[in-house]
Order: sequence, then structure tokens, then C-alpha cells
Amino acid sequence: MKFTYHVSPNIRQPLSTQRIMLELTLGILVVLGYNVGYYYFNFGLDYALHGAAMIATAVVTSIVVEVAWALFYKKNPLAYLKTSFPWVTALLYVGMMGINKPLYVIFLGSLVAIVFGKLVFGGFGQNVFNPAGVGRAFSVLTFGGFITKSVSDVVTGATPNAVMEKLGWVITDPAAVSKYLTQFNGLSGLWTGNYVGALGETNTLLILAVGVYLMLRKIIDWRVVMAFLVSLFGFATVIMLAEGMDWWYPFFFLSTGGVMFGAIFMITDPVTTPTSIPGRIIFAIGVALLTTLIRVKGNLPEGMIRSILFMNMMTPLIDRIMDGWPLKSFRKHLVAISSVALVGLLGVALTTTAIAYIPPYVAPEEKPTLGDLIKFTEVTQAGQISIVSSTQDGDVLTVIVKSDGYAVLEDEHSEDPQPNEIEIKLNTATQTIVSVKFTDFNDSRIKKNFIDHPDFLGQFEGVSYVDPEASVDVSVGATYSTESVIRAVVAAIDAALAQ
Amino acid sequence: MSLWIGPMRVHLNGHKELTSHNEIVTVKPKGEVFIPLNVSMNHRAEVLVKEGDTVVVGTKLGIGPEPFAIPIYSPVSGVVGKVIQMMHPWLKPTDHLVIKDDGKYTFARSFDPIDIETADRETLVAMMKEAGLMGCGGAGFPTFMKYKNPQGIETLIINAVECEPYITADYRTMKEFLDDLVYGTRAMLKASTAKNAIIAIKKNKHELCTKLQALLVNTPEIKIFMTPDVYPMGWERTLVYEYSKKRYDRLPSEVGFIVNNATTAVSFAQALRQGKPIGEKIVTISGDGVKHPVNVRVPFGTKVSEIIEAIGGYSAEDVHIIAGGPMMGKTITTDQFVITSYANAITVLKAQKIDPLPCMRCGRCNDTCPACLLPVRINNAEEAKDLNLIEKLRADQCIECGLCSYICPSKIDVTEGVRRAKRALQLRKK
Repeated sequence: MKFTYHVSPNIRQPLSTQRIMLELTLGILVVLGYNVGYYYFNFGLDYALHGAAMIATAVVTSIVVEVAWALFYKKNPLAYLKTSFPWVTALLYVGMMGINKPLYVIFLGSLVAIVFGKLVFGGFGQNVFNPAGVGRAFSVLTFGGFITKSVSDVVTGATPNAVMEKLGWVITDPAAVSKYLTQFNGLSGLWTGNYVGALGETNTLLILAVGVYLMLRKIIDWRVVMAFLVSLFGFATVIMLAEGMDWWYPFFFLSTGGVMFGAIFMITDPVTTPTSIPGRIIFAIGVALLTTLIRVKGNLPEGMIRSILFMNMMTPLIDRIMDGWPLKSFRKHLVAISSVALVGLLGVALTTTAIAYIPPYVAPEEKPTLGDLIKFTEVTQAGQISIVSSTQDGDVLTVIVKSDGYAVLEDEHSEDPQPNEIEIKLNTATQTIVSVKFTDFNDSRIKKNFIDHPDFLGQFEGVSYVDPEASVDVSVGATYSTESVIRAVVAAIDAALAQ
Repeated sequence: MSLWIGPMRVHLNGHKELTSHNEIVTVKPKGEVFIPLNVSMNHRAEVLVKEGDTVVVGTKLGIGPEPFAIPIYSPVSGVVGKVIQMMHPWLKPTDHLVIKDDGKYTFARSFDPIDIETADRETLVAMMKEAGLMGCGGAGFPTFMKYKNPQGIETLIINAVECEPYITADYRTMKEFLDDLVYGTRAMLKASTAKNAIIAIKKNKHELCTKLQALLVNTPEIKIFMTPDVYPMGWERTLVYEYSKKRYDRLPSEVGFIVNNATTAVSFAQALRQGKPIGEKIVTISGDGVKHPVNVRVPFGTKVSEIIEAIGGYSAEDVHIIAGGPMMGKTITTDQFVITSYANAITVLKAQKIDPLPCMRCGRCNDTCPACLLPVRINNAEEAKDLNLIEKLRADQCIECGLCSYICPSKIDVTEGVRRAKRALQLRKK
């Protein structure tokens, strides 16, 4: 018989750190998995595979790095991994990266996140900054210009925040508001992530749903999420009121730029946030305030991660201020929290008044924007046009034209760019266009879904080509490809008229 | 408030069904009982009998020094033996008086019964002292000291919450002696000068409540107070706050309360009615480390090893044997110790090896601490040996309830860190 000693208490709750990390991992995987599916169904297998490869790269990198670290310090690598959870950092990091990032960027980012975000501080539980945030900040600073370039051009479409940044974060004209929102399929499109962006950040509602589950399971603290979302909503409402905007604004504010991703997965990271409840609430309000200020006043569209990293730095200070006996410090905590909130509201109000000089939104003129009609005569893009063949059969003139599209004009990644080949049939008796179709499409495959599509090409049918007002709707996007078609059509018309 | 400082309590899996309904087993000592001679952590009683003396149930064996002048009575009849040293549940080797049990349990009144209708307050308090009542909630604090000088007491709380997992001894004692519970409560109410009394019971004890309600029909000054099934509901502070939303600094009497355990009230009633001091106890022997968890009726002074053998033995080779419940009870490294007059349970758990992970600063301990402390910060301060910070963090307020360790997902012994901090603070004060 053996009577083993252990200090009291001798029973423990079922929830363990391993369990917390497992459920967190599953939560992030749901969000990432949804987005990989989104790319598959909207852009094709290549995109989904690339997304999956990004996730795999990040996770494998993080695990390999930690195993190497453990071996270097002569620890059992498997035991080390089990108490270090590197994949959580990796998944969070890759969730903040856009689908168009090359794999080596992800590799380097995860490496930095794990080594400089976590291991150098002494591993799990010791780090000052959110490791995933460190990785993301490193990627933006190092590859900033480069990683905004895309692997394929359909997704060059700027993120909602990047567009908003250009508009100065204030749109009062209802037409401009509707135009802005339409780009991203409206407010509901923003909330459901129906646009291209970071791998884990776009579907705000899904992240929120995962978050609610995690809160109910007590994996993350609901107070932090609540304090953050409420104050961010509050700050956005102040801007809205100051600028005379409408209620869409605060809802837009909460839906974009990884705010929800950060709220559920980043500011609830226990290691890098204060330990007491009032401390965590102050932390959350601080992140909301800085995010708002960086958005409306900073020179970069994205404020969430930098705010989190900055507030991570404040965590020891907040903890020290909150030290004491909370039972007797109720008043102190109330004062601390309300003063942070008040300073925030005032700060945002003052800042917004100061940015009021930003001129109202004017639609850019130089390029056709989404949702516009473009006249045949207005096509301005340069590009080589060559007529391959021209055959007359009765009234119908069939012209085949080679026209430079995106592949030739813009795609840096294409190794052997070829122009598109388009067959145009014209009725020379009625002077109308009979049909337009591709005989060889060489711009990216994804684009083909949009351009080589009856909705777009069908518009040409029956159009009188002597009408100076003849136009087509180019709201499918992909400017270079659509204009290559229009130029080809114009060349065919010229050939017909020259007969 | 709980928005701000957390719930300050947690629902635990009580495992009470193991012992709440099966039959109480009577266990007799195998020839000898061992009477611990300490009346508090630092006070040893003076022995009033000699080796070879014959004693009966109720013979006064010894008395503590002032202010803990509590008598110790013999739980068995037989012959007095030597004084030997044994492990005590307070984790301290202590002198025990050996009595050879003759198995007859001859009883002689230690004192005369008292009728509470005619007796005055002072007589009742003197009786508490004379009967050797020590708080049966586990701490063993002399009961009469709470009643010596009551001032501004509004309400007497009879604590029948029993929030520690596994323990059902109070529940079974009350069920057995429901009439004594009411009688004892009335006596304590009179002794306390309070206007009314409440009997606090967890709200899942429907059956007991209904029976008790029927007994209380003619006593409007005693009411039943139902509490939620959470830990540490039975702690005075939590209970007083739950009932009155009042908080106090040191003792519940500051805000007009006296709190006493239900079994104490039953024992008091038996002393008053029969002139009988505590001799037999109902004690819960439970946990996954014993084959047949059960409540036993034993004379105090009986060895735990004998009790466990009598009920079927251990279910594992390597166990934690805990004097009390698993949250606050102390683990003892032997089963050669005895049931004291204020013991309520022995919990035996299969030994488990716990591998703690690094603290991830999640703050769950802060959110649940019933004393509203910041255990993780106290642990950090303790590691840094920063006594000033420990003092600022009020480590002295810790009651070692164990919730911080219980709740810690990384399975760190948080409570132990706070305990060390508390001790360092006490050492500095000396």
C-alpha cells in the first residue's frame, strides 16, 4: 500500500490547457476551412490548393522550428510540442495573410512568429507579444509592397479597408456609399465575407459564430470580446455622428479588416493580455481605440494587429496598476475603465473633427470603375491588335483578331504571355454585331469564368456598330481582359467599315 | 459585480450520490482508541487520568489550557493506557492517549441535561464549553468562543451546506437526528441573542427540506435558506454574502451573524438532552480509492486503517488519503491516524500524477477566487519573493479553499503558491 502525498486540493476541473488549445485549433480550422472552400467554389481548385498549401506551410514550419529548438536545448521534442502548441500560432498567422501570398512569405512569417514572437522569450506562456501578430507585422514590413501583388489578377481587387483608406474613411454621399458597398456585395457581403481578402478574416459572421461557441465553452473570455466590440462600435458611432453619416458605418467598421478575427482569436490570447478582468477590459478598449485611430488617421489601412501589439506592450503596466484586492478596488477599477473609455470617445471625436477637411468622394475618372458602361470609343488601354483572318460569307463578315490582354500587358508571373484570340461575326447588311466569342483565351484561368461568359459576350449581340453611343457593361471587373475584347471588336468594325 | 470580479464560486461535481443513500455502517475499534490531546494547532490538553484507570463513555480525560479550556471525554469504556505520538490530521505528529476498549460502551452522564426553555443564555454557553463542542465543519474551532460575548447579532446561520465534494456526513447526521437539529438550533439561537435563525441547505436536498419544513411549523424564528449548489458555498463569507449581500473584514459577527455547522447543533442538542458529549461520529469514507464508499458510525479516536479495512479496503495500490474533503483536506502519508471529534470525512482518491504546464496567465484563478484575490499575481510575487507586493495583494485573506488549483487548466498548484506567500507574510510579521 502506498500513500502518496500531494498538496491540496486533490481534484481538478476537467478543462485543461491541452483541451483549450484543441478547441481553439478546431475553431480556427473551421474558419480557414470555410475560406478554402469559398475560394474553391468561386475561383477554382488552384486557389483552394494554394490556400491549403499556405496553411500546411505555416503549420509544418512552426512545428519543425520548435522541434529544432527543443533538440538544440536537449529536450524531448514530442513532449515539448505537447506543451507548446506551435500550430495555434501558425494557424492564426496564416489566417491573417491574403490568399495571394507566395509560400516562402508564409514560411518566413511563421518562422519569425515562432522564433522571435515566442521562443526567444522562453516559450509558451512567456512571450510579451502575440506571436502571430509578430509574424504578420514582420510580413507586412518586409514584403509589404510585394505581397500586395497577386498570384493571379482577379484578386488584385483591393480589400474593403484599402479602398476605404483611399476614400479617407468618411463617405457621406449616399450614391458613393452605395457604390462603395456594392463593390463588396453590400453590407451583408462584408459580414459574410463575400469578397477576397485574408485567408481567415473575411467571414465576420462565421468567426463570430465560432467565437460564441468558444465563449460558451469558456475557452475565451466573453467580457474581452464584448468590451472590444462595444467600444469599437461606440467609436465608429462617434465618427458617424460627427460626420453625419448613416448607421451603415459602425456596422461596416465591425465587419472589415480582421476586426472580428482579432476580437475572437487575438485579444483573447491569455498569455499576452492582462490577468484580471478589469485589466482585460481596459486592454480591449485600448485595442479598439488604437484600431480606430490608426484606421482614420494612420497612413495604412489596417490597424488591428498594430493596436494589439502595442497593447501587448502595455499588459505588464495594466497588470501592475490592477494589483491589489479587487474586492476593495471596485471604485478604482470603475474609474480606470471609464476614464479609458472616455478618453477614447473624446479622442475619436476630436480626431474626427480634425479630419473633416478631407474632400468629399469623387468618382475617379481615368478608369472605368466597376458597374460602369463603357462606350466602344472610350477604350483607352494600349495593346497590340492584329487581324488574323477576315472572311465574308453572304452578309456575315467573320473577323479573327489577336488582342493583348492581361497576360501580355500586366501579368508579371506569366512566363510566356500570349494575346487573346477573338472571333467576331458582323452583319454588314444591317451593320450590327452578330456574335463575339473567344477562340483562344490566354489571360488567367479564373478570369475566363468571368470574361468568356454569355453574360458578358452576349451583350455585343445585335449592337449597331455605327452607333457612336454603343456600349457594354464591364462590371465583371478584370479591366485588361474586357478591354482586349472591346478593342478586338472595334478593330473588326474598322475592318468592316473599310470594306 | 460578478461581471467585474468573476463569479467567486464554481459548481463542482459533488460525487455525493456515492454515500448519500446507502446504509450507515457501524464500525467498532479493534481493541484500542487513540484520543488526540491537542485542542488547537498550538495548545495541548492536560491529562486528568492515569495509566491503568478505568473509564466509561463520558469520563473526562483531559482539559485544554485557557483560552481553549475545552474538556475531552472518553468515547469508549475501558482502561487508560500510555500516551503515544501519532500523526494528526492537521499534519502534525501529536500526543494521543491510548484507551483499551472493553467493547461494552458503559455510559455515565458527564453533566446534567438542561432544559432550554428554562435555562438562561450563560448556562447554555457554559454547556457548550462543558460539552467540549468544537466546530464540526472541519476546522475544529471551539464553539463557545463565538457565543462568549455576542454583540449586535441579528441572525444565527446553521450551516448545512456541506459544499466539499464527496462528503455527506452532515446530511446523514441531520437526516438521522432532524429533531436534535431543530432543538440544537433553538438552543444556539437563545445563546446567540440573535432574533432569528436560518438553516442553510443546498437547494437540491428536497427531501430533507420538506421534512425539516414540517418540523419548523411552530418555530417561525427558524427558517430554511436554500443555497445554490456551488463551492465554497459553505464558507462563512460566501454564505453570509449569499444571504445578506454583506461583506465583513474578519468575523461574521461584525455584520451581525454567527455561523455554526449543523452537526455541531446536533451535538449540542444531544449534550443538552442526554447529558452526553460527542462520542460517536458519522463520518463519510468516500472517493474512488475505496471499494465501497459509505458513511460510518464510529467512536472518535478510531484508527482510519481499521475503518477502511472494515468497509472493504482500498481499491488501488497507490492512493491519496485525505483527512476531510478533496478541496481543503490535507493529504496524509499514512492511514495510521484517527478520526477526531470534529472530523467529518476521509476521502481516498486513486493517486494521479499531474504534469503541470507553464502558466499561460489566463486569469481563471483570479475570476473564481472566492476571496476575490489575484492568485496568479500572488504566485508571481511569491516567485520573485516580493513581500511588499504579496502584502498589497492581500495573500493573508486566502482561506486555502483550493479553487485556484482546481480551476487552473495548466494544473499548476496555485493554492500552494499562495499558501507559501501567506506563510512568508506571517513569518515577516513575527
